[in-house]
Amino acid sequence: MSDTLSTISTLIIEGKFADMISITNAALEEGLSADKILNDGLMPGMDHVGAEFKVGNLFVPDVLYSAKAMQAAMTIIRPLLAETGVETAGKVVLGTVKGDLHDIGKNLVGMMCEGAGFEVIDLGNDVDPEVFVEAVKEHKPTILGMSALLTTTLGAMERTIKILEGAGLRDKVKIMIGGAPVNQDFADQITADGYASNAATASELAKELSK
Amino acid sequence: MINSNYTAQVTPGIQLLSDSQKEEIHSATLELLRRTGVKVLVPEVRDLLKKAGCWMDGELVRIPPHLIDWAIRTAPSRVVLCDRIGNPAMELEGRKGYYGTGSDTPFVIDAYSGKRRKAVLDDVGIVARLVDALEHIDFLMCMGIASDVTAEISDLYHFREMIRNTTKPIIYTAWNRKNLEDIIEMAEIVSGGAESLRRKPFIALYSEPISPLTHANDSCEKLLYLAGKGLPVVYTPGLMIGGTGPVTIAGALVQAIAEQLSGLLITQLIQEGTPVIGAGGILLMDMSKGLISYAAPEFMIATTAISEMYHYYQLPIFSFSGCSDSKSFDQQASAEGALWMIISALGGGNLIHDVGYIESGLTASYQQLVCMNEIAALVKRFMRGVEVNQENIALDVISEVGPGGQYLSHEHTYQNFRRNWIPELFNRSSNEEWKTEGALTLGDVASAKVQQILETHKPQAISKDVSDALDTVIKKAENRVK
Ligand code: B1M
Repeated sequence: MSDTLSTISTLIIEGKFADMISITNAALEEGLSADKILNDGLMPGMDHVGAEFKVGNLFVPDVLYSAKAMQAAMTIIRPLLAETGVETAGKVVLGTVKGDLHDIGKNLVGMMCEGAGFEVIDLGNDVDPEVFVEAVKEHKPTILGMSALLTTTLGAMERTIKILEGAGLRDKVKIMIGGAPVNQDFADQITADGYASNAATASELAKELSK
Repeated sequence: MINSNYTAQVTPGIQLLSDSQKEEIHSATLELLRRTGVKVLVPEVRDLLKKAGCWMDGELVRIPPHLIDWAIRTAPSRVVLCDRIGNPAMELEGRKGYYGTGSDTPFVIDAYSGKRRKAVLDDVGIVARLVDALEHIDFLMCMGIASDVTAEISDLYHFREMIRNTTKPIIYTAWNRKNLEDIIEMAEIVSGGAESLRRKPFIALYSEPISPLTHANDSCEKLLYLAGKGLPVVYTPGLMIGGTGPVTIAGALVQAIAEQLSGLLITQLIQEGTPVIGAGGILLMDMSKGLISYAAPEFMIATTAISEMYHYYQLPIFSFSGCSDSKSFDQQASAEGALWMIISALGGGNLIHDVGYIESGLTASYQQLVCMNEIAALVKRFMRGVEVNQENIALDVISEVGPGGQYLSHEHTYQNFRRNWIPELFNRSSNEEWKTEGALTLGDVASAKVQQILETHKPQAISKDVSDALDTVIKKAENRVK
């Protein structure tokens, strides 16, 4: 592997986001393709971070620093990848549902997804079903992610899915849900495509669903 | 004999902050409110703040220090909550502490099967009956969130179920203003009118600002309604250190206090003298799991420190205890719960809630609740400290028994031994006896205690008229949300 690629991996692992722009540009000047930078530099770094987080050697703030570094590099290479027709991880539209103000879990999922290379469009909290649907129309994401922490707001997920169906958009997007009172049964019941119990598995699930 | 400057009784306590540190934290809080301010999402509340002299910038409200000091002086230093009958039950002031349960867990551990399952309305009744029967649990929060009633108005069902199953004071939650109005209608029916409820409140709402630094729509609407009526409210943030607040405890304290005191100001502007219970939750975000911990030492430190700040303000304190991150009622649950019980007692909070929570507030455990009732008894014994007086020093008795004698059959022993703690659930028997009795664990004994209460305890019922009137309120609400 080229030195630059392994430096990129190391900088990702160390979360050195301030250095990412210059190293990414340097790699491009060296003649490395955006595709190669992504798959042989950035991703191996993030995979390592993910694995270390799972076993408890790295912590949430470490992962978020790495995700920030990933994002910095992606701002440069995403347009190049698009030009050359290379498939990227895609887009995630994300929000906490109507009536619900719990947003830290959702934020964490968003940052983890960014770390996995997704472009994340965060609609915030207390998001109307109609706003989710509009965002699906506008951004054409691969994944629609909804978070709910309240028993009283779980229904808003189902309503959003119904409205998506009504608008003929349901088969255009994969739906991922989560939040403390959510489980797989509930996901099945409302015909979501997947459920994740934490932010790390959420980004893995997002990758899985976009295949 | 003259005995000057004698201090009669010292009970234990902890102190984490010096007077200078309290001043420093208060001053930083005032500076935060002056410089950064809080977001207030409801125009009616913003108007009040503007009229009072706050600096307005859209939804952002910056608050001059004198207003906060005014609110601290204006809000009552003592709030008395009564029981359902109207007798005084809790004097929330100074360092008088009372234990109670928590609210709104999506799951419970079933009292009989021991399995974790979704909470149903019956669970709210169960926890209310347990609280009614348990000597050292003084107030009730609903614990389970009922999954088998209309979700939009489950708070109304919780409230009725609690009323039916205990006379102890109730701290309730409400999903929104409309539901809150219905709940207050129910409370007025129970109390015998609006005036009676105001004079002898047996309930207080639990509501919160949203960290960081936001008074959201529902939060404001609930304050407008309740403070308008002069009814008690717990208004405290649930800040997550490193998530929705600074990761350093000192900074988290400043932010949480700023959120609470700006809320206090709002209540006092709506109606001076509105009873408010303050302080707040400063929870740890566990950075290896990315989840919330209800038993981290940082949470315990922060709870103790914010209680000290509210003693300094002379305002009533909402506090935490008896809760755990464990997934079942096990060694971890009792260890964390017990540690909390003593720390919250030493810290001097008034309304000490969340007793019986496991899985960081997602599950209610009845075993945990009865076990913490046992520990509360132990803690209360500890908190009496050493009672030093002539009778207890008992010089005459020691002389009488003399070297080589025995105290077992002495009158002094007979008269006083019951003042020492006698456990009900904890086991002190010999190994032989323990085995003969079935080698029961604390979990077994706690379950048996839960079941025994549920099978034998009959709370004082409400009258048929009151019951029917409550049903009518719920029927109306059902029609409203249909
Ligand atoms: C798209 O795909 C995905 C995939 C995975 C996803 C996902 C989406 N979203 C989440 N995940 C998953 O990944 C994340 C990271 O690993 C995880 O996310 P979590 O969000 O679970 O975890 C976060 C990282 C950390 N956890 C949290 O952020 C939640 C912690 C607890 C303590 C909690 C908090 C902090 C708050 N609360 Co509230 N709160 C509780 C919570 C108890 C608990 N232990 O969960 C809970 C959820 N709250 C509850 C309640 C009742 C309420 N809260 C309320 C308010 C608040 C605060 C404002 C004080 C604060 C939130 C501040 C904020 N900015 O988010 C009120 C509602 C306000 C509203 N309209 O939303 C209020 C109604 C209380 C009231 N008195 O009014 C209970 C819910 C009961 C229920 N099921 O309905 C509750 C279980 C606590 C309790 N027992 O009372 C996974 O679930």
